[in-house]
Amino acid sequence: MGDQTAVLEDVRRGMVPAHIYNDDEIFALERERVFGRSWVFVAHESEIPRPGDYVVRRVVEDSFIVSRDESGVVRAMFNMCLHRGMQVCRAEMGNASHFRCPYHGWSYRNDGRLVGLPFHGEAYGGEEGFRRKGQTLLPAPSLGVYNGLVFVSLDPDAPPLREYLGDFAFYLDLYTQQSLEGIELVGPQRWRVKANWKIGAENFAGDSYHTPHTHSSVVEIGLFREPKASKRKEGALYWAGSGGGTTYKLPPGTLDERLRYVGYPDEMITRMRATWSDAQLRMVGDDGFMVSAASVFPNLSLVHNWPKVTGGEDDEVVPFISLRQWQPVSADETEVLSWFAVDRNAPERFKELSYKAYLMCFGSTGMFEQDDVENWVSITSTAAGSMARRLRLNNRMGLLADDKPVSPPLAHFSGPGVAYVGFGEYNQRAMLRAWADALETPPPEPGPVDLGGVT
Amino acid sequence: MSTLAPTPRTINRCLPFGDARHLEAHQFLVDEAALLDTQDYDTWLSLLTEDVRYLAPVRVTTARGAGFDTAPGMAHFDEDHYALSRRVARFATEHAWTEDPPSRLRHHVSNVRTFALDHTDDEVIVESAVLLFRSRGDVREPSIISAGREDRLRRDPARRVPSVGHWMLAARTVSLDESVLRTQNLAIFL
Repeated sequence: MGDQTAVLEDVRRGMVPAHIYNDDEIFALERERVFGRSWVFVAHESEIPRPGDYVVRRVVEDSFIVSRDESGVVRAMFNMCLHRGMQVCRAEMGNASHFRCPYHGWSYRNDGRLVGLPFHGEAYGGEEGFRRKGQTLLPAPSLGVYNGLVFVSLDPDAPPLREYLGDFAFYLDLYTQQSLEGIELVGPQRWRVKANWKIGAENFAGDSYHTPHTHSSVVEIGLFREPKASKRKEGALYWAGSGGGTTYKLPPGTLDERLRYVGYPDEMITRMRATWSDAQLRMVGDDGFMVSAASVFPNLSLVHNWPKVTGGEDDEVVPFISLRQWQPVSADETEVLSWFAVDRNAPERFKELSYKAYLMCFGSTGMFEQDDVENWVSITSTAAGSMARRLRLNNRMGLLADDKPVSPPLAHFSGPGVAYVGFGEYNQRAMLRAWADALETPPPEPGPVDLGGVT
Repeated sequence: MSTLAPTPRTINRCLPFGDARHLEAHQFLVDEAALLDTQDYDTWLSLLTEDVRYLAPVRVTTARGAGFDTAPGMAHFDEDHYALSRRVARFATEHAWTEDPPSRLRHHVSNVRTFALDHTDDEVIVESAVLLFRSRGDVREPSIISAGREDRLRRDPARRVPSVGHWMLAARTVSLDESVLRTQNLAIFL
């Protein structure tokens, strides 16, 4: 593995060597040092509401069964039979009391416990040869849940999830905790694009600058109330803890008026008032900033927007929320998993229209997403060559040559972290700084796991 | 077992291939494929009824016997006329980058079967298979999307729509044959 010190130094001064978006050596390091350590989103509890429900999700190439066991506990188990390594679950989702390996018939309860081992006595000499008691599918080294969002880390010594999220949790709540019961997550749509995973994560973290151009078509067809996408520059960009995002500036008004402007019905506004902290309410009601796109390092993004979803003459808009993951496949390929999220207590009619808004804007068919991915595929293919090893992309928007900001951070912003108004690549730089820090930190080295009682 | 994939129908209820309604339905699908290949979406939209429903559920891998093979509550497309009209309007702008330059598209339509309905002669159900070949740029890997379709065709009551037999598309369910799509997006129609 080559020395990447110079690459990381360039990234930190805001000059990004273009090849990092398509480089097998960098990707090998990312797999080991970013995805071998970070908290990675795998599922939401609402996807597995009943005992026995499960979904199968990956962290890069590691497959995990995320299940709810008979006592209601959510678990993530490495999807590999302890015996010969067969996947014990080959479906993507379902409900099961047990998972039985198709190879030799070893079976596991939905909490991971090994309960069936054919010919245990004859083949192994019973417990003396293979200690079945207490054996389980390998659990994810670390598992954490926040607002029902289930994350795993491959590092057994990962800091607690809440600590990892840090102040980003303040913003995560605005998407995923609009009432005490939180969201239900629907989906995902999954598709593979020939693009590097970092591009989407950086874009959602802070690229409000691309909206007026990349997405001009959706404004032209009248999907939004605001006639100009350049309104994006009035929003604030914030970075806090392990993530950052973009916001829209709402027109003047009270908290209720501003939330109504976004399209929330009064009953949902009442629940937001009862659920959000004073500071969260002030950010929307007093500061007038409403969350839009965001990313949590390394590869979870969120988006919130409010298009017109019916052909009526009125200006009625309906907000939607999407969670999405940029699941790395290789240096030049990413699987996108895109979910629709909606507050569990929202009126049914709102849920229907919000779902429609999501489908029109994001996901495999979304009119925003379509144009984003075209850009990202093109960047990735161009980043493979030798010229891309010479070109350092300018990622310094918002900074002067002496590293002073073009305009100072917002003095009055109710959310935690640092926020700026106007276009700037503050968050893309923060994202890549976190990436650089991870890449230069030696990977965790958890010991091997032996099974069956041999010591 | 499939909840939203085309319902297996009994062979004897399928119209004979020489039946005029089958011939018209088949021609509708082939003519439509030509419109989709050339991205003549305004004409395509004129063949859809005002109450059209255009649905492409997300397929998921489930155990045999699970009783479902689509993601509950999620689709790639779940469109009414307004939503489709916005998509078509977007392609008509000069800023729909994902299809500029346009993909080279070929919709291969086959396995067409037409089913009469008891209560009306002005509607039929048509099953078909579609294989979409999509090539973008000069050297990118092409993508192939395979799907089954179940359509409801309805005759234009005013007999004005210029399709043979004045048929219009009133509903389509696209049953994609992949769980994880291998194409950069669905900025196309199936």
